[in-house]
Amino acid sequence: MSGGAEKGSATKTPADFLKSIRGRPVVVKLNSGVDYRGISSQILSFSCSFLFVFVASCILACLDGYMNIAMEQTEEYVNGQLKNKYGDAFIRGNNVLYISTTKRTLADGA
Amino acid sequence: MASEEESAVKEPLDLIRLSLDERIYVKLRHDRELRGKLHAYDQHLNMILGDVEEIVTTVEIDDETYEEIVRTTKRAVPFLFVRGDGVILVSPPLRTA
Repeated sequence: MSGGAEKGSATKTPADFLKSIRGRPVVVKLNSGVDYRGISSQILSFSCSFLFVFVASCILACLDGYMNIAMEQTEEYVNGQLKNKYGDAFIRGNNVLYISTTKRTLADGA
Repeated sequence: MASEEESAVKEPLDLIRLSLDERIYVKLRHDRELRGKLHAYDQHLNMILGDVEEIVTTVEIDDETYEEIVRTTKRAVPFLFVRGDGVILVSPPLRTA
């Protein structure tokens, strides 16, 4: 009868997911193969088949409808190597491939 | 709903707004980086930068050893209009959160 299959879930649409992850540690991967990943202090190792990988350890401050992203404590990883750190960073939404939360506390050292 | 973030950054572009008249770092496509004072911007991330240092990174392959040679070329530009679609990342100067 009811249309909603997952009524218990807090996340129903992609937009709801994005709302729910504000302030959380995230990994943001860019179309160029760049990964920005977020956690205040931990960095997950990340396997990537792209040419260049930028990963950033960061906390998602906010995002908007264009998927523009503001992040804190951002670290940029290229091919698994730390290349840069930014206190704050703005990423233009068109470059975003995906946004992922990083729940795990520790992972294989990156 | 409205009060999840108490900082002045309510949407990502606020981060840029707070950086007006400050020196910012801009990462562009094609391995270009800019550092300059942000005079103006719009929703596309078109920007007017002043007193800009542009850094272009190129990778060449050595003909004989096939080693990668990374070169950075710097140049100074007094004023620059940056088209927004080339922007990947903008980082304001360090501020205390």
